[in-house]
This record gives sequence, structure tokens and C-alpha cells, in this order.
Amino acid sequence: MEISTIRLEALKEIGNIGSGHAATALSKLLDTRINMSVPKVWTVALKDLSEALGEYDTPQVALYLKVEGNAPGKALFILSLESAEYIAQTLLRYTERPDLFSDEMAQSALREVGNILVSSFVIALSEISGINLHPSVPALAIDMVGAIMDAVLLEEGIIDDNVLIIDTKLSGVEEMKGKFFYIPNEGSLDKLLGVFGI
Amino acid sequence: MNTTIMVGMADFKVGRSPDKLMTAGLGSCIGVCIYDLQAKIGGMAHIMLPNSVESLQGNPLKYADTCIVMMLEELYKLGVIKSRLKAKMAGGAQMFSFGDKKPLLRIGERNAEAVQQELKKAGIPLLVYDIGGNFGRTITFDIQTGDLNVRTINHGEKVI
Repeated sequence: MEISTIRLEALKEIGNIGSGHAATALSKLLDTRINMSVPKVWTVALKDLSEALGEYDTPQVALYLKVEGNAPGKALFILSLESAEYIAQTLLRYTERPDLFSDEMAQSALREVGNILVSSFVIALSEISGINLHPSVPALAIDMVGAIMDAVLLEEGIIDDNVLIIDTKLSGVEEMKGKFFYIPNEGSLDKLLGVFGI
Repeated sequence: MNTTIMVGMADFKVGRSPDKLMTAGLGSCIGVCIYDLQAKIGGMAHIMLPNSVESLQGNPLKYADTCIVMMLEELYKLGVIKSRLKAKMAGGAQMFSFGDKKPLLRIGERNAEAVQQELKKAGIPLLVYDIGGNFGRTITFDIQTGDLNVRTINHGEKVI
């Protein structure tokens, strides 16, 4: 997949607005200031993906939503275990860190966070482009990030050799380390950018 | 020197003892090892999709059928003897389920079937496998011993 510089810049701007909305939603939810970095927009070859993701076989928490509508894609919110524990603890007002593997309330709370975060990103994307988009029910996995990524990429059963990724990092409170990925499906990019005549 | 050779998605690597081959974070993908224990030569592939017939585009190493054939060619060049080849595989999980949503394409399961079929076609016995479930696997193959180490996050670690 070859993408021109102007397209990458436009995507970065779109990602910026979407991430801004998502960060605001998350800040309100946790009642603390959460920042999201200016998104990095890049294409990466499959064989380099696990390297690019980093820490590909340490356990992380992934919230995955399919974005359906006229320009479908996939949204993935990846958090370190500590960040996810922190979020669940804050939301549920627990006195201790929950065990995410067994605590269903904590898992449910995290799914809701994924829902809110991705929804706000998608609504922003939808508003800027005027294209109808809506997120699916969130799925949650606590596992190796590489395994999660390959499942997400392969879900449709076909795949390009390169993946276009809009990648934003989360920060704010010390415990908060996360990444947000948006992966437009094949053809969706043309629709999203076509609106702007790019 | 003992080195660990990393295998990326949609890729394969071959090596000789004492090298080890490793691929990290297999989800619905399959890691398949084919080796000649006597010659101490082996290969590992990280396969993403069942077959190239329905959907061939781009890198042929993505697919079970094309990737295994290409890896075998490379192994023969290194000097393996066909009758001594054995195989082991792991992966093929179903990482996410959406509950109320329509069933997914069961890519993990189909990948495992496709690899089995290709090995059968090539006449290579599949000695052992560790597939399925809803969790990721990191595998390391020791060409010296033929041991395949399978590590998971919350489902233990084993050697098959």
C-alpha cells in the first residue's frame, strides 16, 4: 500500500481530532487529565509488525471494536496490565487492584471504557467526514499483543501485505500507558479522504 | 554461538543446530516447524491464512500451501533428507468472540486444517500439535533436540 505524503498528513489531522475527542471522554470518565499524543500514521509490513508493536509477548489488555458503516475499520485500544488495573480500580472505586483475569466486573468496566473511547473517536471521524460510522460491541482479551493483533488483522480472512495504522499514545497519570490503533479496511481510506478531495 | 532466529508474521526462517527458531505471539496464526533431527536442520513458518487459491495476493508466505512448499525447497537446499522430515505445530486460537454477533470465520481452525493437509500432501508426519483455545502462544524450536517450547500468558508453558 503506497500512501502519499499529503494523504498521511490528512490522516494525521483526522486522527488528531478523533484522539482529542477520545482523550476528553476518557478524562471525564476517570476524572483526571489524560493526554493523547499527536497520532503517528504509518504503514508497516506484516513481518515487521510484531517488532513495531514492541513487547509483543508480554501480557497486555486489548479492547477491540469493529467500526461498521460506509468506511469500515477496526479500532484497538491496548493498555498495559497496570493501566487497565488502574482504570478498573478507579471506576469501580475498589480499595485494591483487581485481578483482571478473573474479575468480571473489572472486565466489564474496561469494555465500557473501550466503548466510550472508541465511540468518541468514531463520532469525531464521522462528523469530520460526513460518513456514517458506528462501533460494534467491544471484545476484550488479555494476552500477548502479537496474538491479539494477528487475530484482529485476520478476522476478515483477507489481508494486505502492509497495514495502515493510526497510532496514538496515552499518558497523564503515571499508571496510564496505552496505545490506540485505528486500522481502516481496504477501500475505506479512499472514502474517508475522498470527502476532502485528497 | 547459539542464536535465536526470530520469525515474523507471514515469514519463514531455516537454521542449523545449535540455532533456535522462535515466533512470538501466535494468535489465529500457526507456527509450523519442519525438521530433520539427524541432519540437525529445521525451519519454522508463521502462517496467517489457509490457502492462496481463494485469495492469492501479495506475499505468498502468508498462506499455508505456498509457504510450506517454499520452506521445504529451502530445507532441501540445506541438505535435509525427505524421509527423515518430521513436523510440529502450534497456534490457531480464536482470540475474540463477540457473543451475540455472527460467528467469525474460524481462521485459526482453518489454518490448522490447511497446515495438516499440506504436510500430508508432502508426506511429512505431524508428530504433535498444540492448537485452539482463546489465548496466544510464543513458540521456540530447538533444532538440536526437536523440542518445541510453547509458552502462554495464563495457560502455562510446555514442551511438546
